[in-house]
Amino acid sequence: MQDFAGRVAAITGAGAGMGRAHALLLAERGAAIVVQDIVADAAQATAEQVRAAGGTAHVAVCDVADRAAIMHALQAAERALGSIDVLVNNAGIGGEPTLEETTEADFDRTFAVHVKGSFFATQAVVPGMKQRRRGKIVNISSIWGMVGHHYASPYCGAKAALLGLTKAWARELAPWNIHVNAVAPGGVLTEMVLGQPDIEKRMAGKVARVPLGRYAESREISYAVAFLASSAADFITGQVLSPNGGEVIVGI
Amino acid sequence: MTSSLAGRVAIITGAGSGMGRAHAVKLASLGARVVVQDIDKDGAAETVRRITEDGGQALAVVSDIADCATHAPMAASAASAFGRIDILVNNAGIGLDRPLEAIDEAALDRMLGVHVKGTFFATQAVLPYLKRVGAGRIVNVSSRWAMAGHHLASDYIAAKGAILGLTKAWAKELAPHAITVNALAPGGVWSAMVLQTIGEAGVREEASQVPLQRWAQPEELAETVAFLVSDEASFITGQVIAPNGGKTVVGF
Repeated sequence: MQDFAGRVAAITGAGAGMGRAHALLLAERGAAIVVQDIVADAAQATAEQVRAAGGTAHVAVCDVADRAAIMHALQAAERALGSIDVLVNNAGIGGEPTLEETTEADFDRTFAVHVKGSFFATQAVVPGMKQRRRGKIVNISSIWGMVGHHYASPYCGAKAALLGLTKAWARELAPWNIHVNAVAPGGVLTEMVLGQPDIEKRMAGKVARVPLGRYAESREISYAVAFLASSAADFITGQVLSPNGGEVIVGI
Repeated sequence: MTSSLAGRVAIITGAGSGMGRAHAVKLASLGARVVVQDIDKDGAAETVRRITEDGGQALAVVSDIADCATHAPMAASAASAFGRIDILVNNAGIGLDRPLEAIDEAALDRMLGVHVKGTFFATQAVLPYLKRVGAGRIVNVSSRWAMAGHHLASDYIAAKGAILGLTKAWAKELAPHAITVNALAPGGVWSAMVLQTIGEAGVREEASQVPLQRWAQPEELAETVAFLVSDEASFITGQVIAPNGGKTVVGF
């Protein structure tokens, strides 16, 4: 399975959790990886894992919310590895404030990381994709962006904004054969999730709500990302793929 | 792209031509032993010939999918030939672009009989086998028109809409058995059925309305089916995957 041989894939927030899993899977399948993260050691560790498995990795350390920094970092990565064929806009932050607790700074940070980060990372790679008349963009949303939640509204809003970008870009970039889709995971066992207070009680509640009765491993979400980023999905654009164990079934 | 289906047994209904044949050939190429159901004896035989020529194993079952008396024998033949059933692709369908006034009771009954009753009772017959293997897979083939409508073919669209309802209900009902149930809702696909209805010029005209400016080949849709029935899609259930070139972007 070397679907991505000769391709370059950039994954934002690839220093941990799902982002790291995406990086490792795409590397296994032949892609050279741009490992972007705000935490230098974490990004290095992912890159080391990619290289240890025989792959190629370039580390890009910056704050994805810093427009100039992310655009510069991705342009530098293209000079190092070649044009980016696949962009996975994965970088995200949690935080579960109620409406009243949410400060303007919380709000701005949540939207800056998820929405502005994805927007300008994409703006950085699109010129090359247009030139080659092919490209794959996968935006990581969330089931909370589809159906909401009783707290964490800034996160829900930002993840829903990513669905909006996905649908708009699918149409805007289709003339250049650039495919844009979203992955909206349900419950996934990541460090971010496991670090929450009352996690055992929460997990029991969640498992009871999910028809398949379990959380996913990060790698299971990576399979969905890899599918959408592969040539097997060349007629799929503007769609939302939600590996959620049947927890959320909406729309059509 | 997807992991191997070695050891698995798949039933594909309506596999004597077009997309159904493509699904059968693709799953066989990944190692599955395939039951090729179709009402057209010659078509089913041709699909079996193609699979066996490539070194695969396949069995033809000739039946009218709308005839409920045929479903248990179909499942029994599959199990007696190959020992188990892991995958059911409810693909059999008929298409006719008729206005409301031209659809008489017999036409409506036939449309619902093939798509809805066929899907329902084929699944009911196969279910005991899927429960036994513990990680069964059902893929129901719907249509972009069930999501977005069309100015003709309301009988077809109602039937394809019902298939989405069955998909969502079964995802929840069968989750305790680790059986996943998803729908494929293709957009424009080159097939003999479509060429008979609107002709090549009609297809070219329609394709110009698609953001990606083309229709898919049946083999592209088979890639999505192969993903959904693979181990990599174990956490995906109750979802609708719509390879449609960006023509329809809805929901959420």
